Amino acid sequence: MTHYPPNTVRDLLKTDQVTDATRQVLTERLDAPSHPPTFFTVQECDLLQAICRRLIPQDDHTELVDIAGNIDERLSQQKSDGWRYDVMPADGDAYKLGLKAIDESALIRFGQPFRSLSTEQQDILLGAVQKNEAPGQIWQQLPADRFFEELLTEAAENYYSHPLAQEEIGYVGMADVPGWQRIGLNQLEDREPTL
Amino acid sequence: MKTYSTTETVDAVIIGTGAGGAPLLARLAKAGLSVVALEAGKHWNPARDFATDEKAQEKLFWNDERLSAGNDPLPFGSNNSGTGVGGSTLHYTAYTPRAQPDDFQLHTDFGVGVDWPIGFDQIEPYYEEVEQFLGVSGPSAYPWGPSRKRSYALGPLPVNGAGQLMERGCKAVGIKTSPAANAALSAGYYQEGVGHRHACTNRGFCQAGCNIGAKASMDVTYLPLAVHFGAEIRPECFVTQLVKSASGTISEVVYVHNGQEVRQRCRYVFLCAGTIETARLLLLNGLANSSGQVGRNVMAHPGLQIWGEFDEDVRPYKGIPGALISEDTHRPKQADFAGGYLLQSIGVMPVTYMTQMARGRGLWGQELKRAALAYNHVAGINILGDCLPHDHNYLELSDENDIRGLPKPRIYFTNGENEKRMTAHADKIMRDIWTAAGARNIWAFQRNAHVIGTCRMGNDPETAVVNANGQSFDIPNLYISDNSTFPSALSVNPALTIMAVALRTADKFLSNAGRNPQSAL
Repeated sequence: MTHYPPNTVRDLLKTDQVTDATRQVLTERLDAPSHPPTFFTVQECDLLQAICRRLIPQDDHTELVDIAGNIDERLSQQKSDGWRYDVMPADGDAYKLGLKAIDESALIRFGQPFRSLSTEQQDILLGAVQKNEAPGQIWQQLPADRFFEELLTEAAENYYSHPLAQEEIGYVGMADVPGWQRIGLNQLEDREPTL
Repeated sequence: MKTYSTTETVDAVIIGTGAGGAPLLARLAKAGLSVVALEAGKHWNPARDFATDEKAQEKLFWNDERLSAGNDPLPFGSNNSGTGVGGSTLHYTAYTPRAQPDDFQLHTDFGVGVDWPIGFDQIEPYYEEVEQFLGVSGPSAYPWGPSRKRSYALGPLPVNGAGQLMERGCKAVGIKTSPAANAALSAGYYQEGVGHRHACTNRGFCQAGCNIGAKASMDVTYLPLAVHFGAEIRPECFVTQLVKSASGTISEVVYVHNGQEVRQRCRYVFLCAGTIETARLLLLNGLANSSGQVGRNVMAHPGLQIWGEFDEDVRPYKGIPGALISEDTHRPKQADFAGGYLLQSIGVMPVTYMTQMARGRGLWGQELKRAALAYNHVAGINILGDCLPHDHNYLELSDENDIRGLPKPRIYFTNGENEKRMTAHADKIMRDIWTAAGARNIWAFQRNAHVIGTCRMGNDPETAVVNANGQSFDIPNLYISDNSTFPSALSVNPALTIMAVALRTADKFLSNAGRNPQSAL
């Protein structure tokens, strides 16, 4: 499977096939500048970014989405998605604790902090966190598997909300002003390029 | 819109404008009562405010944090919650199957759970009324349940790729299917007091807000009707207190609007804030709980989803998400569980699908990126099944406060043996269907959807919070009309039944006391 041709979504956003409301939010997201962290320290934010690069690799193009920055922004604004696992501390505390725990695990397992590890070592460590098998005292206070699940979900949500990540998977549902008449199997509208 | 002063005593205050509050508000207004609806969320203009973007539409969810406990913690936010004028109908799928008669008597038939104090016969006329008013689209002959006295208002909506695949798979394994009943318009529709509504354009974004008014959310149906008959709707009013008078009735509702506390005197209160907020408000105020049942009996439909990848181009973002239905599994033969479930096809918006793959499959790194590239070829099928009330599933107030300074609710949920057996039964059937339809890389997403219960309706004040008419056993001028009063979960999506029961509650109230509310107190 291949990607949509570059600029498919950017070009669609210029047309009247997208509503003003949709164009506004997607354009803002395309042009969003990176901010220095306000919730995390710079070191915490760098570590979070390094982890997010393993969870959602963005190496095939210049980094589309500043996932760590977006998480920082949400936590600064004390925004919630409406629920939290009761076994977890408050979102901000969970992130700070989880980041500390990942570095502790990295030191125990490989003798170096997470950011100094090779990508293979980083992946081994993250896999252990996901399976609740990462070493360290801090994980006694924080269920590693739930922490990983929440972080991964938030990272995926951030990445796939980006119009160019949506272009990557062949999504043009934002161009819905004309409606969709061809909705059955193998039925495509002109604005849905074949993959 | 007519407005009322906070210095006057209105006949009724309705708390919440979703499927439980909106139809009732319209009914009371039509009867000539002075009625005010208080809604915690904003009043949106969908054409202007709703983007075709999942992240931007998070504003439709109840995002004050809830604590999810138990072995199968319930997600809230995008699921099981809503805010804004119209409540969670702003982002419901508008799937509107009727419950079947046996859904209301689970205890009689299986010896587990409880029966409803009212039966299908008493709800059926209201089903018909709601379907006609909303303009429900559906098949001319629906294959399951009692024969319909009146056909659906409009013909069925077109079947999308996921629906075609389910049809193909079900045919191969011998399961009957039908286009689903859906409260989105398959043709333009006109109703007195509401006006003209546009036909559905197959935008596929029902679960993040319809921007053309084709989907029958309350803000484009019962609420304009209520305003037409003289109701006032006050958005961004968060109710904190129900004030009890010396006579034991509620005399005043206290709410916060723009940071200011406001008081509205009233003769009757209708609490329609949904399973979580209705129970939370009663517990916060220590009201209507002589039975000790407020917050108990939390239920949530087993909602297992099976996903697969197909050779065909599916484009799962087009068309109503749940185009096809089967109720062949309503009471499966030789089942090792009570009750049953329905099957439905599912399309999906991209961010929802990706986050489910992250959370449910645990995919990350290149594996997630690769799986994501199959998005245009994925389709799903899922169930909605009955859920029994269990002692271990309940809501309580925690000692942690939310951003409003009120205790967060903590909701315990663990699937019982019956739900586990039903889910295992459905897992096998759905995998068979998807395999027969030609799916590859089949995977399951475990979930429970539609939180129900906490203020059970019943005949016995010892074991129920409200009577069959929705009236509190403890406080005669307090009524509840929402999914909190359901004694059992039913094996269908709840919205249609919530609306039907709301109209019945309004009619019972009007015939018992409401014709002359002042003399009734």
